[in-house]
Amino acid sequence: MMRALTIAWKDFRHVYRDLAGLAMMFVAPLLMAAALGAAFGSGDNFSVTAVKTVVVDQDAGAGAGTPAAGATLTAALTDPGMTDLLAVTRLESSETARAAVDEGDAAVAVIIPPGLSAAVMGSASPGTGSAAAEVEIYKDPALNVGPSIVAAVVESATQSLNGARAAATAAARLAMSSSVTEPAVLDEVASEAAGVFARAARAEAPVILQERNPLIEGVDTEKRPNVASQVLVGMMLFFMLFGAATPARSILDEHRNGTLPRLFTTPTRRSVILGGKYISVFLVVLIQAVVLLVAGRFLLGADWGEPGPVAVLTLVSALVAASLGLVTVSFAKTPGQAGAVSSAVFVFLGLISGNFAGTASIGGAFAVVRRFSPVGWLMEGWSNVLFGGSWGNIALQSGAALAFTLVCFGIATFLFRRRYA
Amino acid sequence: MEGIVVQGLRKQFDPPRGPVAADDLSFDIREGEIFSLLGPNGAGKTTTISMLSCLLRPDVGDARVGGFSVTREPGKVKELIGVVPQDVALYEDLTGRENLLFWGRMYGLKGPRLTQRVDEVLELIGLVDRQKDRLGKYSGGMKRRVNIGAALLHNPRFLYLDEPTVGIDPQSRRSILDGVKDFKAAGVTVLYTTHYMEEAQELSDRIGILDKGKMIALGTKDELVHLVGEHTRIEVTLDREAQSLAAQWRDLPRVLDVSEPEDGRLWLLAEDANTLMPRLFEGARAAGARITEINLAEPNLETVFLHLTGRALRD
Ligand SMILES: Nc1ncnc2c1ncn2[C@@H]1O[C@H](COP(=O)(O)OP(=O)(O)OP(=O)(O)O)[C@@H](O)[C@H]1O
Ligand SMILES: [Mg+2]
Repeated sequence: MMRALTIAWKDFRHVYRDLAGLAMMFVAPLLMAAALGAAFGSGDNFSVTAVKTVVVDQDAGAGAGTPAAGATLTAALTDPGMTDLLAVTRLESSETARAAVDEGDAAVAVIIPPGLSAAVMGSASPGTGSAAAEVEIYKDPALNVGPSIVAAVVESATQSLNGARAAATAAARLAMSSSVTEPAVLDEVASEAAGVFARAARAEAPVILQERNPLIEGVDTEKRPNVASQVLVGMMLFFMLFGAATPARSILDEHRNGTLPRLFTTPTRRSVILGGKYISVFLVVLIQAVVLLVAGRFLLGADWGEPGPVAVLTLVSALVAASLGLVTVSFAKTPGQAGAVSSAVFVFLGLISGNFAGTASIGGAFAVVRRFSPVGWLMEGWSNVLFGGSWGNIALQSGAALAFTLVCFGIATFLFRRRYA
Repeated sequence: MEGIVVQGLRKQFDPPRGPVAADDLSFDIREGEIFSLLGPNGAGKTTTISMLSCLLRPDVGDARVGGFSVTREPGKVKELIGVVPQDVALYEDLTGRENLLFWGRMYGLKGPRLTQRVDEVLELIGLVDRQKDRLGKYSGGMKRRVNIGAALLHNPRFLYLDEPTVGIDPQSRRSILDGVKDFKAAGVTVLYTTHYMEEAQELSDRIGILDKGKMIALGTKDELVHLVGEHTRIEVTLDREAQSLAAQWRDLPRVLDVSEPEDGRLWLLAEDANTLMPRLFEGARAAGARITEINLAEPNLETVFLHLTGRALRD
């Protein structure tokens, strides 16, 4: 055992004496994360900066006991879930609202006309006719993204209003067909139906919110990791593969320059020599991971999540990287070949595992494909803890990654033993 | 105590077409002697040493080192041997001292014993004042000395040196050769390979001549030279007509062989140099040529190799 550690220590020092290698292991992933983090706005969130929005609600409501349609719309815009997307200010007159947009104080103005509730309820009461009511979205023509978010929110809210209108009409018709003719009663039935529908519609969170904030199963608290941390996880895992390949390749280097055969002439057993190599590969990437996580914490303000699961994921990540580094090297005959083989494999794994995409933008086929890669499982695990997950959210992921790891270690050991036995 | 007993070792690389690097080798090395394997490039010297170091498994045959089989008890054998590889096998980014410490640990040394042995070996190889420099900064000769030193740390009973003097200056070579004699004096059994017959002659108690994987002769220097008989090698340099004279001399009685002339230089292998020499001068004069240099070489290992294989040891 002491001899294995002696060998590991020697290889370890070899890696940490190589400046170019160190830059690749530590500086590259941090730079990528910092650069991409800065590119996404304030660096606090994946979202664009909140859109400055002004709302003018002139709708008085259609009658007592009825929720005003204008209020429903305003509520949708000021929903707590939207606060980092839209910065909403209420104004009294449509003129000041338009002026705010014209002067650049706001990106978009939403102007709700006085007759909105009446228009929604209107057709329900026979004889009143259905007056059309237009919600005006007044926007800065130079801007695109912000106003279209507002427009989408308004649209989804008005759709539910239209649904409420249809519900009210249907309820009134139903009442009339059962020979209710009293207008006051009809009004009440219609507004009740509209109210129920509108509340039900509002209870569902808008679709866009779900998209940008993937909720972790069983996690109620919404934790929002910053962009840099999400990028860094992918970069860290990717560069750890290279970090592992370097000391793994030293097996081939030592074979070539004669020190491995010379080791085999000493009384130190071959399994101990190989074991020493494995230990050094593992230590190199473990330290790489720890340094990157700590640097991410202090330089990029990353909040990695619960310490326990983070520690376990760190260990598993080091094992995965070590096994992949070793197995790709074990297939090669020369150090040069090993470099080519491992780079190709690692880029491929990085692509299918989403290492270059950050943790957030995962969906559809991607989520399936990446489960064929141990790195993909790791990405999933890291993403889960980043978004507030705990033990339950990394158990499967760590287990699957470890299974891959065992297979890789097995293959590497088999090939090395066969070659050098 | 038993030395090294080699029984029918055979090794073919990349069978069935690859070279047979060791072909049914059987010999023994006595405890305490210096035994040299002499042979040209590709003769199979390194292959043989590798099999005796448990590095390469023989296809057929076995060898016992200090009573232990290299195929069945490699662990025991490795405790007894120190192997100096042909090419320097050390870590360039470690210092000379760190290299020795590392290899000492691989031989199972530790603690004060390890540092003591490292100090002693540094003294022996004359690198005490350079011990803190990285190996990458050493000269070729200094690396070779560390290369040898790393095999001495555990005081091996058997020391294998594979062409340890290739490519170094005469002074370093001298100190290595003297060192080898000191090992013998200290009771170490030495297996030494070389393609310099002078080294084999100077050092060895006994010499095995290897060619194409076969042991073509084995014995003390005198025994080997006797194989050739009383042959003398005569080296002649002519100012002209070397080609025709060589052809003419080939037919002289008691001339065994004449080389192809090169730049007017050629050699003859003759049984009786004394009667032959005047005839060479006569022949030259008759052809209108002049012998500008003549050299007599008593039979040596070179002549032996030439005699046995028809080729020179160094090409
Ligand atoms: N690993 C190998 N694979 C294939 N052939 C080999 C290998 N090692 C040696 N050989 C072949 O075996 C033969 C003997 O090689 P070996 O290295 O034992 O010779 P040597 O006497 O040590 O020569 P040198 O003086 O050049 O070191 C050569 O023909 C060589 O090409
Ligand atoms: Mg050799």
